[in-house]
Amino acid sequence: MFGDDVDEGDVLVSLCDLKTYYGEDSLLSDDPVKAVDGVSFDIHKGETLGLVGESGCGKTTLGRTLIQLEDATAGEVRIGDTDVTTLTGDDLQRWRRNSQMVFQDPESSLNDRMTVGAIIREPLDVHDWKTPRERRARVRELLDTVGLSEEHYYRYPHQFSGGQRQRVGIARALALEPEFVVLDEPVSALDVSVQAQILNLLNRLQDEFGLTYLFIAHDLSVVRHICDRVAVMYLGNVMELGPTERLFQQPQNPYTHALLSAIPEPDPTADSDRITLTGSPPSPRDPPAGCPFATRCPMKIRPPEYDSVDTEVWARVEMLREVLRERSNADRSLTERAREILGLSSRFSSADEVHDELFADVTLPAAVEDHIEEAMDHVRNDNETRARAQLREAFGSVCDEERPKSHVVDDESGTSRCHRHRDEHDEPSRSQVVSE
Amino acid sequence: MATTVETTFRERLTRQPGPATKWLGVLLVLVALQFGAVMQTIMSTVPWGTIGGALPATAPWAALAGVGDALADLPTLLARDVIPNQGYQVPGEGWQGTFMGLSPAAAWGIRVSLVYLYSFGFVGWLGYGYLVFRRHYRAADWTPYDDMLGRLDGHRWGQFGLVVVLMFIVMALFAPTLGPTTVQSNIAEPFSHELQYFDENAGEVTTILVGEANLQSVSKGGGGRNVGPMQYDRYDRFHPFGTLPSGKDLFTFMVAGARVSLFIGLLYISLAAGLAVVLALVTAYYKGLADLTVVIAGDSVQALPQLLVLILLSFVLSDTWIAGIYNGGLLLALIFAITGWPYLWRAVRGPALQVSNEEWIDAAKSFGQRPVTTMRKHMLPYVVGYLLIYASLSLGGAIIGVAGLSFLGLGVNPPTPEWGRAVSAGQPYVATASWHISLIPGIMVVIIVTAFNALGDGIRDAVDPQSEAGSNEVAAGGGGA
Ligand code: SF4
Repeated sequence: MFGDDVDEGDVLVSLCDLKTYYGEDSLLSDDPVKAVDGVSFDIHKGETLGLVGESGCGKTTLGRTLIQLEDATAGEVRIGDTDVTTLTGDDLQRWRRNSQMVFQDPESSLNDRMTVGAIIREPLDVHDWKTPRERRARVRELLDTVGLSEEHYYRYPHQFSGGQRQRVGIARALALEPEFVVLDEPVSALDVSVQAQILNLLNRLQDEFGLTYLFIAHDLSVVRHICDRVAVMYLGNVMELGPTERLFQQPQNPYTHALLSAIPEPDPTADSDRITLTGSPPSPRDPPAGCPFATRCPMKIRPPEYDSVDTEVWARVEMLREVLRERSNADRSLTERAREILGLSSRFSSADEVHDELFADVTLPAAVEDHIEEAMDHVRNDNETRARAQLREAFGSVCDEERPKSHVVDDESGTSRCHRHRDEHDEPSRSQVVSE
Repeated sequence: MATTVETTFRERLTRQPGPATKWLGVLLVLVALQFGAVMQTIMSTVPWGTIGGALPATAPWAALAGVGDALADLPTLLARDVIPNQGYQVPGEGWQGTFMGLSPAAAWGIRVSLVYLYSFGFVGWLGYGYLVFRRHYRAADWTPYDDMLGRLDGHRWGQFGLVVVLMFIVMALFAPTLGPTTVQSNIAEPFSHELQYFDENAGEVTTILVGEANLQSVSKGGGGRNVGPMQYDRYDRFHPFGTLPSGKDLFTFMVAGARVSLFIGLLYISLAAGLAVVLALVTAYYKGLADLTVVIAGDSVQALPQLLVLILLSFVLSDTWIAGIYNGGLLLALIFAITGWPYLWRAVRGPALQVSNEEWIDAAKSFGQRPVTTMRKHMLPYVVGYLLIYASLSLGGAIIGVAGLSFLGLGVNPPTPEWGRAVSAGQPYVATASWHISLIPGIMVVIIVTAFNALGDGIRDAVDPQSEAGSNEVAAGGGGA
């Protein structure tokens, strides 16, 4: 049917420029939320593909779009010859048997007015699977498969622990013998001691039934433990995708660098030059025109004419742009946001003080200083849009202007989206980061 | 789910038939006491003639029908003619025509007690059946509903409400049996019925039209023109609640009125609650435009002053055909439903929206469950408790509303008994010896409305133990009168 005939290791699901926007048809004509903004990758049969990123990066929306809980705005999700996003009616119903989801919160994913047996039976009932007697037998078998016992059939979710409830959720997802299962942070709501048990169960089930997993997570150590390959998402885009070990040991994309350096280093003597990301991701209603990461990237490419400027000075310039961007982004006061970004506790009362705070202890090259002064004039005249445009024109680089393409970065066809992979630039590396 | 319970339930039943048999035994006793009435219902509601005509061999069929009719004529425990309370006293010979020669008051008292004993016996049997099922035959040893019932267990206020509401329902159901006389002979057509009494002047038993007797039994403030509660009139008729200014029996009027109120209240609540819950589920499931439309519709209806609309509509429509059905009761119920559904809908919209955000709704979507099934299985059970709370509260409101309208002379057409009209009829005599005419119906309205509120409180504490207070706001959403 859908991907039944795919061999282990071949492409099972193929995403092509997938986009999921929210609120486009809303009555208030706001910009849509671009939760997933052009994602392409393949999922191979039998593998576990991790999908990581900060909360709000669109990873859950991507997972929900894959199993058609959300409608895709554009692009394709291909299984064999079928584009799933175009399925309707009976075809969609048949495809649904094939892809299931394990939800994040076992408190919320089980209807606590139903017995566990009835919950696991529901998918079978919906798809008219064999006879009712056989369905009951199947539920008992599933209870056994996920490490619960047959007596649990007539218990209610209230009578179970979080881990047991998640087992019930897994049993329900497996009831129809799906090919492909989206695991939406399946262990993040559980105690650490229980997490390992559930992960082991998932591993065992994958071997037993030849399942293909998309494992959505924000806990990188869990991902490293369970995934074959990992996709790193930022602001609706997949920034890097590659085999787990390569990605963890030799991250290629600047964002992956930043994300990984946020993991606490188990060995304190190890080289722990942590990259601290400043600010928060831009609003997905109004993502940057160039690289999605451009507003926070610590390795952002400079325009050639400023190559010689001191890194420290350059970092301050970028920070000023960030301050102005944040200020226009939210209605919160400049003071509040600026303090947050700079991690300073001193109080600013005006844009001038921001300027002083940023540039007091550095000497700006004349070329830079002119542009900054001009921008500050705009700020003083309450025209921040002009100020931002002016700074962008003066200091903007290819990162601000052009959306980076995917470059193959390893011999297992891992990819990374960054202009630094182009021949004319240096590859991303930690040496480009300003340590504070 | 149903099939699972069904088969295994049968297995559990055969394995341990004792408790279920005992329970059915009680049912047999209860049915035997009322066997004649049961047969009567069967003989009169099923069109036997049609069925018999369709069968070829008519002779045995006719015999069967004859047996059925005979059975239907069997005396039943709770019938008026088994314990008659209407008779007359002949000096020296005691009571004639009453049950075992008892006084009418005693005979009537026995009949009323038996009705209530029987009814509570029946309710008890239902509860006992549930407990037997729960202890011996239910597959699950615990369900969330056990906890809810458990919380109701210690809830005295809610239990008070439940008992009073049950008494009210029994009053309405058994209205023809409970009254010392009947609506037909005493209220509707008094001049087509007659009664016998011992005429002291003539020294013999005399016959008189009920209507004539009523004119001699009026309650109009005293001075010999009053028949108060628990008194006999000069025709040896017993009046538990006294008489109306027209001389008709107030108790008979009240029990018949209970039927009317309950019918209107229940019809209104079923219509309004049905509409409210369907709208709440659909809007919570689909959200967006569907929700907005209903919000606007509900707000518009709620913006109307309900009492004013009620008065206006019942006045405008009072001459149309619809006002003739059930003496205007149907029309009232419809008007209440049309103006009242937004209250119920608002009450369940929140819970419906809350449950629609649970992940189990997404799970149901992800394996392709039909939206209607999802709403029924995954949303309705969470909403229905709240619906019951607010339905109970609004029912009290509706009863006040109906009484209020009849007080104003609108709503249910005379002479159909309605409590509000009794209040209104007794209004001129409130400060006189005939105080009972207004006061008794008034107090009963208050008690019953309080009971419905108490029941609503009980259900709320059972369904949603976290919610304290907040009941004021709820009560205000009642019938609007
Ligand atoms: S394209 Fe530029 S901004 Fe984006 S990640 Fe690469 S270096 Fe950073």
